[in-house]
Amino acid sequence: MKRKILSAFAAAFLLGALTGCSGGSDNSLVVLNYGKYLDPEMLELFEEETGIHVEYEEYESPEEMYTKYKAGSIDYDLACTSDYMVQKLIGEGEVLEMNYDNIPGIKNLDQTYFEFSKAFDPENKYSMPYFFGTVGILYNTKMVDAFEVNTWDVLWDENYSGQIIMENSVRDSFMVPLKKLGYSLNTTDENELQKALDLLIDQKPLVYAYLVDESSDEMVAGNAAMALVYSGEAAAAKIYNKDLDYVVPMEGSNMWIDSWFLPKTCKHAQNAEKFLDFLCRKDVAMKNFEYVYYATPNLEVYKALDKEVQNDPTIFPPHEVLEDCEVLSSLDDDSTKLYNDLWKKLKSN
Amino acid sequence: MGKKLIELQHIQKSYNGTQILDDLNIYFNENKFLTLLGPSGCGKTTTLRLIGGFEKPDSGQILFDGKDITMLPPNERKVNTVFQKYALFTHMTIAENIAFGLKISKKSKAYINDKIKYALKLVNLDGYENRSVDSLSGGQQQRIAIARAIVNEPKVLLLDEPLGALDLKLRQDMQYELIRLKNELGITFIYVTHDQEEALTMSDTIAVMNQGYIQQIGSPEDIYNEPCNAFVADFIGDSNIIDGVMLADKLVSFLGIRHACEDTGFGQKQPVDVVIRPEDIELVAPDEGFLSGDITSVIFKGVHYEIEVLSNGFEWLVHTTRFFPVGAHVGLKVIPFNIQIMHKPESSDERAVGLDA
Amino acid sequence: MRKLKRQLCAGPYIVWIIGFTVLPILMILYYAFTTPEHRFTLENVLSIAEPIHLKALLLSVRLALECTVLCLLLSYPLAMILNGLKIKRQSFIVFIFVLPMWMNFMLRILAWQMLLSNNGIINSILQALGFSGVSILNTPAAVVFGMVYDFLPFMILPIYNSLVRIRSDVIEAAKDLGASNMIVFFRIIVPLTMSGVISGVIMVFVPALTSFVISDLLGGGKVLLIGNVIEQSFMQGMNWNLGSGLSIVLMVFVIASMAFMNSHTKETEGTAVW
Repeated sequence: MKRKILSAFAAAFLLGALTGCSGGSDNSLVVLNYGKYLDPEMLELFEEETGIHVEYEEYESPEEMYTKYKAGSIDYDLACTSDYMVQKLIGEGEVLEMNYDNIPGIKNLDQTYFEFSKAFDPENKYSMPYFFGTVGILYNTKMVDAFEVNTWDVLWDENYSGQIIMENSVRDSFMVPLKKLGYSLNTTDENELQKALDLLIDQKPLVYAYLVDESSDEMVAGNAAMALVYSGEAAAAKIYNKDLDYVVPMEGSNMWIDSWFLPKTCKHAQNAEKFLDFLCRKDVAMKNFEYVYYATPNLEVYKALDKEVQNDPTIFPPHEVLEDCEVLSSLDDDSTKLYNDLWKKLKSN
Repeated sequence: MGKKLIELQHIQKSYNGTQILDDLNIYFNENKFLTLLGPSGCGKTTTLRLIGGFEKPDSGQILFDGKDITMLPPNERKVNTVFQKYALFTHMTIAENIAFGLKISKKSKAYINDKIKYALKLVNLDGYENRSVDSLSGGQQQRIAIARAIVNEPKVLLLDEPLGALDLKLRQDMQYELIRLKNELGITFIYVTHDQEEALTMSDTIAVMNQGYIQQIGSPEDIYNEPCNAFVADFIGDSNIIDGVMLADKLVSFLGIRHACEDTGFGQKQPVDVVIRPEDIELVAPDEGFLSGDITSVIFKGVHYEIEVLSNGFEWLVHTTRFFPVGAHVGLKVIPFNIQIMHKPESSDERAVGLDA
Repeated sequence: MRKLKRQLCAGPYIVWIIGFTVLPILMILYYAFTTPEHRFTLENVLSIAEPIHLKALLLSVRLALECTVLCLLLSYPLAMILNGLKIKRQSFIVFIFVLPMWMNFMLRILAWQMLLSNNGIINSILQALGFSGVSILNTPAAVVFGMVYDFLPFMILPIYNSLVRIRSDVIEAAKDLGASNMIVFFRIIVPLTMSGVISGVIMVFVPALTSFVISDLLGGGKVLLIGNVIEQSFMQGMNWNLGSGLSIVLMVFVIASMAFMNSHTKETEGTAVW
């Protein structure tokens, strides 16, 4: 009996040792990023140039990223995520200060976006912007007129019943009725949130589906008239279906910024800084832009683009639009619970 | 004396390209114990299944009490079957098994309860109402299968080798049970078996079948003592079958000798089969018999010795209660009455023969 | 030496059981009965009684029941037909049913998405024939469709297995005693296949009750099942405690169903699916 237990433990240790193996050698870098958010060729190029091996991990939603990070089985050196999640992690003391002096390439980035970043990184100590954009309505010009989509009200238009796609994500979908009612999208006021929920419940019968990544696919396939999407998705969708167009309604919307930061678990800070510098390089940033097609804060890249692309409001939101937009900030536990309970109420309706 | 209860006329049945029954004609009289006897594949089970309605003939008719039932499904025929593997309903109690047919006939509860008690008493299993099927032994299960069938008071009971799975002693007991049942109930039993001893013990009439044809129909004594062809002679009991020539009435020659016999009507100088039962041969001094030979084997069978005697190139089988040593030179003796003469089989014969009790 | 060898052989199994079954369940139990501040509480488990959760649970039960009934109604006749064909190699039949399961489950559900969508194949055929289209996708009906499709083999196989075991002479005996086909079916066949039916029902109802992927993909985010609530608790709400609490409640449900199944199947008739 003793022997049995001993052999079991031995095997368990072995298993643990194998799985716990992370960040191995010195010349490596463990990166955590959104899915399809970095051109894989760039990873190969980085390895070629520096000899640093990159272990690249992906995730779908900021909440998933948080769960993965907190699970702690892998020590990440570098991570990229959305504004409010960065803020939450900073608040929990999970983020190391970034040494911008070690990232000379940062001069390629437009300083405006560091200003915008103050919404979640008030002293610009922790993050480096990667891509940004807005949330708006992707619509089919053959089914909907341009002037109709100038307001969020169109998402409640009964003429489009069964043709409306919303986001399957709490904050994004709540943002719409909150903006429509003129409230802040970061509100924690129960009354305001309840009113927003009521609107969402009214809307539910008209909604085709609550999707995340599939929204643009459905729009391209012509299965719906309009969808709540991120500007980058919209830009990509427009390429596949010429009938599609994108707009940010006049009531204002959400501006999002995805940024890089160094988590507390970073073991290869030097390699991380080299990587960030690499990303700021004009050729690399250009390749990434062409791969992701979201708005890049990299000025050098912007300057090198065609006038058409520069002036495309879908890809590069004009400043007037950005002024009407709010950046999401993270919520405390009670507010998170409130939002989630309301979301559940909506889904179960 | 006796009414034709079931009649099969010109039945053709083939299965998967093999002809099982070819122009079969047979009838079964009321209140008799009738056995279909033959080796595996002779068509006896098929015949039974045709009567039960589990198979339909390719052509031909089946009459029940004068009415054509050829196309009737089994649940509408007034016959009941006892199956070889009992086929009891394992999800029901004994009482429910027995009551099954009665409930379908919508008999009253009181009637059913009485009948169950009666049936169980009949098969000597009183008090077994609430037992489950798998708590019973093979013999008990077989008796319940019989009870379940007879409780519906069928005019005909079909039994498909029901005793095959039982041990010898039990089988013998059951054989007597079945005879007793038949006499008590007064219904017609149609029994299928390959065991000739069983057939001889229980039957009023035996129909011997081979390869889809009826070889002979008769009482057990007739079949045994006067087999009409070599197959029957060989199948029933042991026989010595020798090629012979009928010289004239009551005179036959075989193995180089002539012998008197009691059969007539076979013509002159006709090739025939000569059949002598082993128990009809007496071993005597070599010069006292019609033939002499050497004993090649002696086996003690309890009831008798089985002795093989080699004489004139033929190995004779002899049953005797006296002991003879191997190698002894003996004579064979038989009375003319015990010599059976049969036509040589050209192709398979068959005839429908009605039999009075 | 031999003893050691034997114990080492059992080693991997023990590691697997401890590492991937026992430990995770212990962890879930821990989270279920504590608050984020590591204090003991029953509120996570009791939260099943909250209206939203109750609603999701009832919806799950309703859809799981619909799926089970549909599967039963489809499977029984199909199994009887298959049995009637008297195909010699039963292993071939099993193979045919198991084969689709070798293909990725997600792919098959996504295929259903395409089939059922407004511009999908089914609607195209209907419209070509002159009927108006049907809007099934992203409704509970689509979720039931997906569940039935996915779980049908689990219902067919146990029923088929139990049907095949019924000896033909038992059926003949019933007919011999005067039973019409109807009576044979209801009094003989159905009772003798009951253990297979119960097996199948449990094997369909339990996964249907706990599923969330099918409602995600075919429900368009509009159908909130208890599985979705649990998924949400972990992924979006980041409330592991609540998620674990609800999971424990579901586990109790599942265990109760399996206990029920065990008490109703006879020992000798263990209907294995494979």
